[in-house]
Amino acid sequence: MYEQDGEEIFVIDSHLHYWDASEENITHEGGEQFIQCFYDYHTGFTPEERQWSLEEYRKYEEERMLNDLFGNAAVDMGIFQPTYLKEFYEDGFNTIEDNASITEQYPERFVLNGRFDPREGLSGMRELERQNEEHDLQGVKLYTAEWHEGSKGWRLDSDDAFDFLELCVDLGIENIHPHKGPTIRPLNRDAFDVNDVDDAATSFPELNFVVEHLGLPRLDDFCWIAAQEPNVYGGLAVAAPMAQNRPRKFGEIMGELLFWMDEDHVLFGSDYALWNPDWLVETVMNAELTQEQRDEYGVELTTDVMKKVMGENAAELYDIDIEAKKEAFASDDVTEEFGLEAHYEETGAAAD
Amino acid sequence: MATNARTGAATTRATVRERLRRVTDPELDESIVDLEYVDEIRLLGSRVHVTFTLPTAWCSPAFAWMMATDARDEVETLEGVTRCTVRLREHMHDDEITAGVNRRSTFGTVFPDADGGVDEIRATLDAKSRLARQYDAIDALREAGLTDDQIRTLTAADLTLDDETATVTLAEGAFCVAVDHDPIAAYRQRADVTGLLGDDHPELFRNPDGDPIAADRFDLVYHRSRLANVNMTGQGSVCDALNEARHAPGRPPLSR
Repeated sequence: MYEQDGEEIFVIDSHLHYWDASEENITHEGGEQFIQCFYDYHTGFTPEERQWSLEEYRKYEEERMLNDLFGNAAVDMGIFQPTYLKEFYEDGFNTIEDNASITEQYPERFVLNGRFDPREGLSGMRELERQNEEHDLQGVKLYTAEWHEGSKGWRLDSDDAFDFLELCVDLGIENIHPHKGPTIRPLNRDAFDVNDVDDAATSFPELNFVVEHLGLPRLDDFCWIAAQEPNVYGGLAVAAPMAQNRPRKFGEIMGELLFWMDEDHVLFGSDYALWNPDWLVETVMNAELTQEQRDEYGVELTTDVMKKVMGENAAELYDIDIEAKKEAFASDDVTEEFGLEAHYEETGAAAD
Repeated sequence: MATNARTGAATTRATVRERLRRVTDPELDESIVDLEYVDEIRLLGSRVHVTFTLPTAWCSPAFAWMMATDARDEVETLEGVTRCTVRLREHMHDDEITAGVNRRSTFGTVFPDADGGVDEIRATLDAKSRLARQYDAIDALREAGLTDDQIRTLTAADLTLDDETATVTLAEGAFCVAVDHDPIAAYRQRADVTGLLGDDHPELFRNPDGDPIAADRFDLVYHRSRLANVNMTGQGSVCDALNEARHAPGRPPLSR
């Protein structure tokens, strides 16, 4: 558990991947371009001494991932967000089954999200039902720029997408995470347009829409939609590492988010393995607004605000009881493996 | 220095470079010269050849196309230049864009799969950059002592701009105020490009849709202008970091 000024911050990393971009798994040049593009983002926003090599980055082992999350107690829990890209990767890039291979071993530490693609029609619906049956889903990650049989993307406000959102309501899958971020080569830039979220969020008030990557480079469109739709949230993946080498920009982005939305609607995510939480959590926790930014936006990154952003808001969406988790983690497998007893024991004592 | 045989006008690399300042990265609203995209300017008689590189190989082909055609067209407005050719380097579509722009093809012919034309994208981004520039312009007017209501109702006719100074006339000509030139000139240029100076409304400043600002909406519009500004400069930071990553020593070469 992360600690700052004697305060304990329960961190839920709301955006994790367990991917395979090994050369054997790539079936289309798009797969190679995609991982290289990720790697540029990784090196562009990672301190030099913490950068991975491209070979390590293609495919990593479970042990490394667990160590990067829990080794220095940066993260308490994580949410896996699948990304299929089956037209680029033989077995998919980061599927629910890949992710389940980890979450099934440590179910208390992870949330496993599913996915759907409305272009798959009825068989896609059956697949979503299967995922839900097997993994009891609370959320889905949506990748609107995925290629599928000649189509280069889909929209959340289409009739087909609405049929799937209806199904999510029926199945009790409440958290919808559309990826709306920077252009990733070779995907179509327009497929990340954020405006389709507006209509979907208005039409499905019972669902929560967590816009991953804040719609960057369309932060303006995203904030304007989020200001009006109480069920729209922002996922900080991609914005978070700007705290490392573009701290002033990170401050401005946080200022805008807290100005147009509020501190209850912003969720931290590392986007692992794009970036490592073992340095990113600390970097984000240490971020400060300049005096000028505090005056301009009338907000501050207080410990209470950061507690919400780093974990409490995700806990709210995923019905996670943080106090119960802290107790359980005092002696679970992860704590034993990484020697984290002191972190959680202290909590127990403080709570008594 | 190149001299046009017919007109005798002289063009130097410096004048070409200065003219290229007018070309902006449409997503960042910053000059391609300041962003250091321009690698080389060559003069061959009355012909000019410009080579440029973008921060990432996967920058939107539509944006790359806009910058390449804008560079060509701006340089060709220089007296003494009969023809400008461009070359885009290290982009996923560098050859197609270079050949298409120099042959004066259209974007749609070169990229038949692209959704939507360049004009539509350009109009959206121009509208965003107008809004982003409005933020700095309003700040400059506030700095000069104007009230929000005076700013809101200011008309294009109240503004006098030359190369170095900007003045606004208030209270039906009763008095003049000097204001910071650059943000006002930058805003006016975009207001002009987006067609707001020739429409039915005299007001200089507008809401995001282009209509005059209602009295009770001024704060909201000001904040949306700030948001547009933060978005554009934020994207600039991302491109900048990617550019550094791409040129870092030891970076594996991009696959083609």
